[in-house]
Amino acid sequence: MTRAATGGSALAAGAGLPPSGVTVGGAEVGLSAETPAPPRPAGPWYRQMAGLPWILPALVVSVGVLYYCIGYTGFISTLKWDGASPQADRVGAGNYVRMVNDPIFWRALQHTAVFFLVTFAVQVLLGMTFAVILHSQVRLRVLYKVLVFVPVVIAPATTAPVFRQVYAPDGQLNAVLGFLGLPDTNAWLANGTTAMLVVMTVQIWQSTGINFVLYYAAMSQIDTEILEAARLDGASNLRVVGSIIWPGVRGTTLAIAILTAIGSLKTFDIPFLITTGGPSYSTEFLGTQIYRVSVALSQVGYGAALSIVLLVLALLMAVALNLAGKERGASRA
Amino acid sequence: MLELRSRRSRLLVQLLVTLLVAPFVFPLVAMVQGSLAGAGWGNYRTVLSLDLLPRFFLNSALIAAGVIVIVLACTLTAAFGFSKLPLRGREVFFWLLLACLTLPEVVLLAPLFATVTAAGAYNTLWAVIIPVAALQIPFAVLLARNFVDGIPTELVEAARVDGASTWRAFVHVVAPLTKPIVAAVVVLVFISSWNGYLFPLLFLQTPEQQTITLVPQFFVGRYNNDQTKVLAAAVVTALPVIIAYVCFQRFFERGLAAGALK
Repeated sequence: MTRAATGGSALAAGAGLPPSGVTVGGAEVGLSAETPAPPRPAGPWYRQMAGLPWILPALVVSVGVLYYCIGYTGFISTLKWDGASPQADRVGAGNYVRMVNDPIFWRALQHTAVFFLVTFAVQVLLGMTFAVILHSQVRLRVLYKVLVFVPVVIAPATTAPVFRQVYAPDGQLNAVLGFLGLPDTNAWLANGTTAMLVVMTVQIWQSTGINFVLYYAAMSQIDTEILEAARLDGASNLRVVGSIIWPGVRGTTLAIAILTAIGSLKTFDIPFLITTGGPSYSTEFLGTQIYRVSVALSQVGYGAALSIVLLVLALLMAVALNLAGKERGASRA
Repeated sequence: MLELRSRRSRLLVQLLVTLLVAPFVFPLVAMVQGSLAGAGWGNYRTVLSLDLLPRFFLNSALIAAGVIVIVLACTLTAAFGFSKLPLRGREVFFWLLLACLTLPEVVLLAPLFATVTAAGAYNTLWAVIIPVAALQIPFAVLLARNFVDGIPTELVEAARVDGASTWRAFVHVVAPLTKPIVAAVVVLVFISSWNGYLFPLLFLQTPEQQTITLVPQFFVGRYNNDQTKVLAAAVVTALPVIIAYVCFQRFFERGLAAGALK
């Protein structure tokens, strides 16, 4: 197996497609564990590069555009520039020095970390619970599944006004709390801590469906004979979940951890549309900071420096994803 | 997974799952309820009578269609090239693509803006289509290459022995076998381009060019922050995707689970 093939199939497995093959729309996706050896380059050079014209469109559109943009961002990050005027001063590493001394940048990083920990823990708990229960004998399983998954397909931009309404002082959440006899005058979006909680709950609402489907698929792969044997030995439901199901879906949990980490770094739509990063930067993420600095403040150079840092963090996550996939591949062998 | 022998335990679990699902339904109920407040169905009449509304839908559909066509064309050929043809430096090229797998779109903000303006593409749909396609291709290629790797190379060789060109082997042998992965890629790309917000916000200036994700803002400006109409607009824009999902549940769940990486 080639290095990339290992990484590739592990990634697919991480995304819920076991390498042994999973059916998508009736046919096999993901594939046999043995990747067939690709045709070996031989003969004159133009024969050895016969595949190049075939991969060229993808390379031009994707690698061309993206690498050009990344290089351009790197260049801009050494400038003091408003993005429009022909006047751009070279400041070397000045923007990076400013970043290190910028408390909002550190707060954004901290928010990303906390956001990741909370959304990950809650989504794993919810995703596991839904998957376990909907694999059991309950009624209306399809309905529950659809209801949990619907938020995944709706645009955050579409639901943002709804959440602003729900969490408003005279909104539906306070109405429900009042109905239950609890304090009902909370200004959820005006307080830094609760505003962060709002952003987290919206993210959890939005992406639990995906994690549930990943767990649901992973649990279908667990050997039912082991479950039956455990039952015969008198294992309780809790014991089965803790000792058989949880270890059985460990790989999925690992994949979800990394996917959630990447998602946390990319967070933009939800805080931007619901809290605009406020109040007083308490829901600022790298994405919203880059937008605010580059567009609202027209400090494109500084925004580019922040972008480069975000880019490096995202790349590290891609490497982590790949290493985790390899570890899983090794433990499986 | 759980063994629920007694009626009581079955009822308890049913109750538990209902309680857990309730918060997921709550915002949707609040959305519909809010959209019917004030003028009631009149809010929908106002929203639907807006002559620009079909335009928003059309723009979103055109963007999604453009992205899907570009991504599929690039992805299937690339998967075939990577998997079935001799290629020196194969893995280097593959890694160049894979490195872009986790790229956050906000990182491209400044250079794209400068490039789009310089190319005169500002306020055209292309300014959104090309960057979105570029960001979708790496993952689509990863999925498709894994899939095409599973198609026996002998099939391609047999076609070549029978005198077919590489192109004909691709069109008549490999492409027809890739339907399942095409379905997954289409769902994935459709959802991320249809729901995309940042690029339309940045590059589409006039209402005639804007997409459905910008509709709430448009209504906030137009109706002086009349929440009921904004929520009615939210329902109208969310409905088509929800209906599409309910009709093609399996495709959506599998496609998006495969693409959870995004």
